[in-house]
Amino acid sequence: MKYLSLIFLVITFASCRKAIDVDLNDANPVTVIEANYTAEDSTVRVFVTQTSNFFTTEDEPTVDDAVVTITDQAGNSQLVPFTSSGNYVLTNYAPAFGTTYTLTVFSNDVTYSATCKMLAIIEQQPIFYDYFEPGPFTGDGGYIVAVSYQDPAAEGDFTSALLSKNGKKLKNLNDITLNDDQFTNGNQVIRPLFVKFFDPGDTVEIELRTINKKIYDYYTELVSLTDPNSAAPSNPDYQWTNRALGYFSAYPSSRQTVIIL
Amino acid sequence: MKYLSALSLFFLASASFAQSYTVSGTMKDSTNGEDLFGGVVIVKELANVGATANSYGFYSLTLEKGRYTLIYRSSGFESKEIPIDLNANVTLDVELNYPKDVLEIEAVEVTGVKENENITSSGMNVTKFDPKEIETIPVIFGEKDIMKTLQLTPGVKTAGEGNSGFFVRGGGADQNLVLLDEAVVYNASHLLGFFSVFNSDAVKDVSLYKSGIPAEYGGRASSVMDVKMKDGNSKNFGVSGGIGLISSRFALEGPIVKDKGSFILSGRRSYLDLFLKLAKDEDIRQTKLYFYDMNMKANYKISNKDRIFLSGYFGRDNFGFSDQFGFDWGNATGTVRYNRIISDKLFSNTSVIFSNYNYRFTIGTGDDAFGVNSSIQDWNVKQDFSLYANSNNTLKFGFSGMHHTFKPGALTGGNDSFNEIILDSRYGVELGAYIQNEQKIGPHLNLMYGLRYSGFNLVGGKSYTFNEDGDQLTVEDHSRWESIKYHQGIEPRFSLSYVLTENNSLKLGYNRNYQYLHQLSNSTTNSPTDVWVPSSNNVKPQIGDQLALGYYQNLKKNVFRISTEIYYKALQNQIDYRNGANLLLNDRVEGELVYGKGRAYGLELLLEKKKGKFTGWISYTLSRSLRTFDQINDGKEFSARQDRIHDVSVVLMYKITKNIAIAGTFVYYTGSAVTFPSGKYEIGGNTIPLYTERNGYRMPDYHRADFGLTWYLKDKKRFEHNLNFSIYNVYARQNAFTISFEENPDSGQTEAIQTALFKMVPSITYNFKIK
Repeated sequence: MKYLSLIFLVITFASCRKAIDVDLNDANPVTVIEANYTAEDSTVRVFVTQTSNFFTTEDEPTVDDAVVTITDQAGNSQLVPFTSSGNYVLTNYAPAFGTTYTLTVFSNDVTYSATCKMLAIIEQQPIFYDYFEPGPFTGDGGYIVAVSYQDPAAEGDFTSALLSKNGKKLKNLNDITLNDDQFTNGNQVIRPLFVKFFDPGDTVEIELRTINKKIYDYYTELVSLTDPNSAAPSNPDYQWTNRALGYFSAYPSSRQTVIIL
Repeated sequence: MKYLSALSLFFLASASFAQSYTVSGTMKDSTNGEDLFGGVVIVKELANVGATANSYGFYSLTLEKGRYTLIYRSSGFESKEIPIDLNANVTLDVELNYPKDVLEIEAVEVTGVKENENITSSGMNVTKFDPKEIETIPVIFGEKDIMKTLQLTPGVKTAGEGNSGFFVRGGGADQNLVLLDEAVVYNASHLLGFFSVFNSDAVKDVSLYKSGIPAEYGGRASSVMDVKMKDGNSKNFGVSGGIGLISSRFALEGPIVKDKGSFILSGRRSYLDLFLKLAKDEDIRQTKLYFYDMNMKANYKISNKDRIFLSGYFGRDNFGFSDQFGFDWGNATGTVRYNRIISDKLFSNTSVIFSNYNYRFTIGTGDDAFGVNSSIQDWNVKQDFSLYANSNNTLKFGFSGMHHTFKPGALTGGNDSFNEIILDSRYGVELGAYIQNEQKIGPHLNLMYGLRYSGFNLVGGKSYTFNEDGDQLTVEDHSRWESIKYHQGIEPRFSLSYVLTENNSLKLGYNRNYQYLHQLSNSTTNSPTDVWVPSSNNVKPQIGDQLALGYYQNLKKNVFRISTEIYYKALQNQIDYRNGANLLLNDRVEGELVYGKGRAYGLELLLEKKKGKFTGWISYTLSRSLRTFDQINDGKEFSARQDRIHDVSVVLMYKITKNIAIAGTFVYYTGSAVTFPSGKYEIGGNTIPLYTERNGYRMPDYHRADFGLTWYLKDKKRFEHNLNFSIYNVYARQNAFTISFEENPDSGQTEAIQTALFKMVPSITYNFKIK
């Protein structure tokens, strides 16, 4: 719907923007848990925080006294130890692909839990890139990279593609490209990542994650919250019991790197 | 069937057995031969006896043998009295004249007849406008627009700044049935809402039914906006037009055979894009942005009893960016009608109606280009009868069948890793049948009661089932005419007016409406790409029930009118979306929907001055519009976006001299309900807003004043012209169109940024008419 915004841009030659005072309520703090289990380095990383006032410039309050455990499909639990300010990390925790893990966080007398399946890896093929001329939709123009892989035959594969430029991860939500194979099932996929232009000499890495549908949906909802035209934004569907915010994702990654020439 | 026998009992009980005769005919405008829809004929000697002309100007009045004086009148015309000695059935075609000079209207009033139809008519008050009445009211870009004027009346709220979309009594924008010569118009706006599709040169009149909706209308839950095109001048040829800053219009009309048939052709085109060529910015220069539309109508009287009408509309918006991007959308409608006066008491109209709305996107060029297409198309056959049984009963009945074809979208072309997507077409058959009687009982009581049966059959295509999370469970193919789901309902319609004195009355109205088509829109502004979905095995029809009560009073010999109405509306099977719903090109879109209910209630006050040099109205609405969905806002009731509690409009028109008229408007309303965050948190280094409730905040209050001046230049014998100057938003109030939250790059502090669309917009339009 970027095109529609553009129409408005053209019509509203007289439009004007200004900062105004808006009085927002202060919601009661809610626990936020961001939990990732990456197969690539056999590590579980959990970050526990709380929500804060919308206009505050201070860092989010962290939760340092939680008890975090991960449980495999057979029911074996292991503690994810606290390291520093809200972070809990468990290393050398080898993944069993195709099995479901449960992550539990006990904090302030409340237990939050979520499950996620560690799916099989989708191997990435070498990166393509192409030059785009400057223009109304391409700004100053530049190089666009494309992720390529063979989509598995069965429908229902969800991926996310993340970029790094010269060793630095692009963390903005809008720099993540999500793919649902509804339109590309079983195809040889070449998906241009129209999120960032690169210059000659840039080293670009793509990390392709195989994610659960609920994580795909969760990110879709997060991204939709960045659209100012959304009529009725609301929190993404809860991934945790007892209404903690955040998510738990277990995923394998496949990486490719290219230097733009 | 129980209802039907009760109806006929009512009707028979009041039939008269004395020797009686019928006077029937047509009522027309003497200057151009246009039918006078809603013109009335009353009998001077009898209280509360009369007839109303139908939309083709036909009236029929049956009286006992005797001598009478018939008084014919219609709003804006001089009344005409005709004495009659009724001893046989007679045909009496009547033409009404304009007052010789508008300034003389008052004089006519003093000597003339009481003009209090608003008090005595049986229906709840209908908001009715003739484009002539409102031509001096200032509007944005100087293009007079009947839909924007309607928004200045009580109970009607604008969809947004400068927008022609509207909400009626707390209902959604898709719950208004918008008809152009009986054809459904699916997207009634141009340029994303800044213009309506109705060219005021081609429009004869507009009626908006907010409550007590007559049984002949069906298909939407909240209101009916019935737009009738001009028939064309059957006396003389004429050319009229207007040249404005960003659009111009032109109309040609005249007789086919004098007094037997006429035609009108009119067109408009905007040329905002020509100005864009002057822009400094290369991107803006390459932008294409315009709309055009054409209206055509012709009618011909085959005999004194048979008449045919042909009307059509075609309009298109075009938006593009050099050759890289194109986007166009528009409506096309066509109506063929055949009127037959079967007897002096029975009038028949048969219509065949076509309507199409579509949009197209194309992106890119050459091999990489891809496009999206979507359309909705209707064929409708409709038969209506009016039976003027006697002076106390007018019976209307009829039936209709409509076939809908929905093409929700096709994505074609493009890069190889994309499969071509062609969403399955869906088909629906919508049926309607109605019977309604308008009855007068004694001098004080008028009733209108009727029933409408409606049914909707979704046939052919695919059907899906979903689990409660909206994930698909099954999919099934159906052959072209195989029924997937049949929905039906009975819609009672009732209104009553009790005339207390000749200057005041009480009215009561109830209606139930079924709606089988639903528009899905997930952004704050209405967009050409909003999808229409039919009722199905998953989507139930929306049902609207409304009860309204009104008190009407005329003061100072009908110079002032006061109306007070209260209403309560209950809406069932309302539609909203799951979080992050994808509505575009999604054949499983029904899985993204959630269902709930709504209610709306309010008080509407209107003070109107209809006559004299100084005319206008003040309207105030106090109302709420609320929704409840299990899956939204934790199941708690929340405000609908259009839940604006206070809404005030003031319209003042003053004719200073014969040549100069000025007009001013002022609007104020409570800001729309909106969702803002009540906290924030971090995910992957991104700041994410925390929401606690749906629509729990308010936009800033909206207010604005407009001013217009119309200068009637010196008339030549067959030439009239005027210049219209207008200023939209006189005091340059920056009304918030959106509020977004952004981080200030310098301070790192998050700020609320308000975007206002228009500050002050002056415009000038030159209008002319050659008679």
